[in-house]
Amino acid sequence: MKLAFQLAYKNLIGSGLRTWLNVGVLSFAFVIMIFYNGLIDGWDQQAKIDSIAWEYGHGQFLEESYDPFDPFTLQDGHAEFEKNKIKGLSPILIRQATIYPDGRMLSVSLKGIDAQQKTLKLPTATLEKSDAFIPAVIGKRMAESAKLEEGDEVLLRWRDKNGTFDAANITIVDIFDCNVPNVDNGQVWVSIEKLWEITGMTNHATMLIASEDYVHEEMKGWNYSSQEDLLKELSDIIAMKKTSGSIMYGLLLAIALLAIFDTQVLSIFRRQKEIGTYIALGMTRWQVVGLFTVEGSMYSFLATLVGSAYGIPFFYYMATNGITMAANADDMGISIADVIYPVFGIGLIVGSIILVVISATIVSFLPARKIAKMNPVDALKGKLS
Amino acid sequence: MNKHIISIDKVTKRFPVGDGEFTALNQVDLQFEKGEFAGIVGPSGSGKTTLLNIIGSLDTPTEGKAIVMDRNIKELSHKESAALRNKHLGFIFQVYNLLPVYTVFENVEFALILQNKSASERKKAVMEALEWVGLENMAKKKPAKLSGGEGQRVAIARAMVKRPEIVLADEPTANLDAKNAHAIIQTMKNLNKELNTTFLFSTHDEKVMAYLNRMVHLEDGKVVKDELIETQNFIS
Repeated sequence: MKLAFQLAYKNLIGSGLRTWLNVGVLSFAFVIMIFYNGLIDGWDQQAKIDSIAWEYGHGQFLEESYDPFDPFTLQDGHAEFEKNKIKGLSPILIRQATIYPDGRMLSVSLKGIDAQQKTLKLPTATLEKSDAFIPAVIGKRMAESAKLEEGDEVLLRWRDKNGTFDAANITIVDIFDCNVPNVDNGQVWVSIEKLWEITGMTNHATMLIASEDYVHEEMKGWNYSSQEDLLKELSDIIAMKKTSGSIMYGLLLAIALLAIFDTQVLSIFRRQKEIGTYIALGMTRWQVVGLFTVEGSMYSFLATLVGSAYGIPFFYYMATNGITMAANADDMGISIADVIYPVFGIGLIVGSIILVVISATIVSFLPARKIAKMNPVDALKGKLS
Repeated sequence: MNKHIISIDKVTKRFPVGDGEFTALNQVDLQFEKGEFAGIVGPSGSGKTTLLNIIGSLDTPTEGKAIVMDRNIKELSHKESAALRNKHLGFIFQVYNLLPVYTVFENVEFALILQNKSASERKKAVMEALEWVGLENMAKKKPAKLSGGEGQRVAIARAMVKRPEIVLADEPTANLDAKNAHAIIQTMKNLNKELNTTFLFSTHDEKVMAYLNRMVHLEDGKVVKDELIETQNFIS
């Protein structure tokens, strides 16, 4: 085996430009593969961290008739809770409402949240500090779409517990910047005390967000979803994106492997005399098959080295400085930070190397098998077709 | 061990050609002893190379027995015939067949690497072989930088470095000018005397024939004449 590696190395280096072209293409596929997976992993990590910090907390109770994917359940999807029984839980009451910025009408989710909560990163403390009648905080996206700025007042219309319309001005006291569209787009956050007051739904909540120190207990009339349950959907979306991305780098890898396959086929055809000479000098046919297979698979080793030469600085730069995402990237509905920092784990790198080496070995072996059936006399004469 | 280093017993070799067959060797009987400097001569297509290929275990007879170093060529597995070639046989080809990406040293060293010899043993043996052929100063050159004569001398060093019992040379002078041809044959003749290696040539080159101790004439796959010759002291 050592001999095969020595000979393969000499043959590859001796082949000059042909070798380096194959190695270049393969190393590019290799770097792209690691980069893309690193990007998705970075996005995955960031999306999970942000979703926990801004939306999910450490678990959620949803009122049993409330379905977050069905807006028709909002009207009745709330229930009264006992304050002394919700230790470690922050209540959120969601109501439908309309705001009228610049005379336009915008449907919003009016969300009441405990101003003193610390579970979510929302800047709810500012709600307490304001003297406005209904202080509200909104996200950057919401502010942009409604053309609202800090300090602006805007008319809000809602229904109280009896279904009667009521309206008053709300004051935007803070605009937060977060990567989770679900807490930003079309959302207006007010103090839950104020929402109870203006709707008459005192002690009602649509959902209860668990803090880190919450100890789970079942509550009648409420459905609990753990953090893992909540993140599963996000993980599924990211896994789907990873799969679709793998088609792209799979194609790139296929092109590189096809180049190796072609090179091997051509090489075996052109080097018949050499093959015959190896056999005449005392190599078995399978040793020669091994030599050509190792030669092909060594493209992947060289590609690893070449890929490392420019990939490691590139990965380091990307992991340090991140990638700026397009402004409208979060229209996809899941959290995307303005800058994503790819994560290049050992598992990803070693896995990619193994995948490339095994693939290159297989595509090298396939044409090399032909050598085992070669007649050495014909090979020496270069007569094989 | 058999008295004869090579024993060919009623060997016939047929090749399929179109719908029929071509008989390259027809009931050939021959024996060679250790230390012979013999040639198989005859016109093109007479079966010289086929016979050499069978002796070299690169091919097998259709009928008959070819015994080389007490091994029946037809009964050897691929692995056994590879071992026979590696340990006991040296090949010299018409077009040298040097491995282009290796240096002269590495080309000669190759057979010893296959024998798992240590690096120091290999180096010593390779330099000695290169000295035999007068190329000790060209060890680092690539085959592409060598003249035809030099290339063939590297091929001789490669064949001789493992000190095989038998060297099979297929038209070794066909691509060489007269001066180089004589020098090459003289080198082999010297090695034959010095190391008592059996040399078996396939040739129709009269320059080679002048050095042979024995000439086996083949025509249409049959031995038509087998003559022992007085050694001539040919000087180019």
